Amino acid sequence: MNLFRMKLTLGAVALAALMAAVPVFAHHSFAVYDRTKLLTLKGNVKSFQWTNPHCVVWVLVQPEGGGEPQEWSFETTSPGVLTRGGWTRNSVKPGDRVAVEFYPLRDGSHGGGLSAVTLVDTGQKLTASFGEKAELK
Amino acid sequence: MNIPIRRAVAAMILAAFAASTLPSSDAAEPAAKDPINPPATLRDWQALAKLPDFSGVWTPVISDQVAQERSNPPPWNAQIAKQIEHMYAEEKAGRPFPVIDHCFPTGMPSYMLITHNAFELLVTPGRVTLLGEGDGNRLRRIYTDGRPHPDDPDPSFHGHSIGHWEGQTLVVDTIALLPEVYLAVNEAVGVPNDGDMHIVERIHLLDAETLADDLEITANKLLSKTWKTTRKYLRQRSQKYDIVEGVCEQGSYNEGLDKDGNSIFVPIKFHNGVPVGSDSK
Repeated sequence: MNLFRMKLTLGAVALAALMAAVPVFAHHSFAVYDRTKLLTLKGNVKSFQWTNPHCVVWVLVQPEGGGEPQEWSFETTSPGVLTRGGWTRNSVKPGDRVAVEFYPLRDGSHGGGLSAVTLVDTGQKLTASFGEKAELK
Repeated sequence: MNIPIRRAVAAMILAAFAASTLPSSDAAEPAAKDPINPPATLRDWQALAKLPDFSGVWTPVISDQVAQERSNPPPWNAQIAKQIEHMYAEEKAGRPFPVIDHCFPTGMPSYMLITHNAFELLVTPGRVTLLGEGDGNRLRRIYTDGRPHPDDPDPSFHGHSIGHWEGQTLVVDTIALLPEVYLAVNEAVGVPNDGDMHIVERIHLLDAETLADDLEITANKLLSKTWKTTRKYLRQRSQKYDIVEGVCEQGSYNEGLDKDGNSIFVPIKFHNGVPVGSDSK
């Protein structure tokens, strides 16, 4: 085995290990979010992940004390439920300036359950509910 | 006479000959061992028109799920009740037990009891099919062609279901569920059925647009007696409720590009089971 091939193989093994370490935990109870606190953060949309079982608005937030922007995840319900609530996969786009109202994670990680997102430039407010509030009649 | 008909006639003559030369019990055996799905006839399709109309997209009445959870809990045996009590405490503390975190199907009876997602119901000759939203593997097949359960069915997430009509009610019998499949009361509280779970459902319309599923769940490893409970679903006629494709595992990835600019799925970061910013601890 030449060095290049060995490196390639080791790289593949490392990648496989990395992939194996990625938990497939896309679906979960929303009890992870602290529903007693509704917070707001402003930032720029990095991407809008339009996937089942839950969509995620990824936002880059400038820390108050300065420094590099921090990535936050704001999770909401499924594409089907959001579509019925008037959203599309283009409702928020990369680069949009947004103010996000969210229920925070209890452990301080950069993430929360999305309650509403306001597009700063247009003032348009999109709301989303999840869990037992997601019922649509 | 065209060739397929000639062949069919030849086969019938052969079959008649075979039947006449063998004892009758032996003659019947091959058919029983290898039953076929017969082609649906016009009469089969017409018979469906006389059944209540269950077709369409149904969304669970989640407020009723919650009310039922509080007012009519399963009769857990003492050992399981301790586990359930602990799970409720964990849920309240913001550490929900991961009943549905994996991307396996939620399985039966969670499919009917706790899911927040809609399903589409199709009634065709010999079969009732439920296609769930959220993931393409949320799928129930209920055979209504009169077949029995297999003698030794392979356990599965949704089990083996046979159904028949009693007037306006579809009665469904389900066995052969994987022991790992949960009997859950919500997305954070439930236990594996541990085997031998048996579910009988009576599915019927409460009014033109409301479907009820009366469930009788027998799970001897978990329950002190058969648990009877009901779930309701509302039919959605608006096309915005049409079921969309769902692939649960896709939720663990975001769209991105590789070094050559090809579109790929990029794993997102999870912490304690939820997506978090990549620079989180």
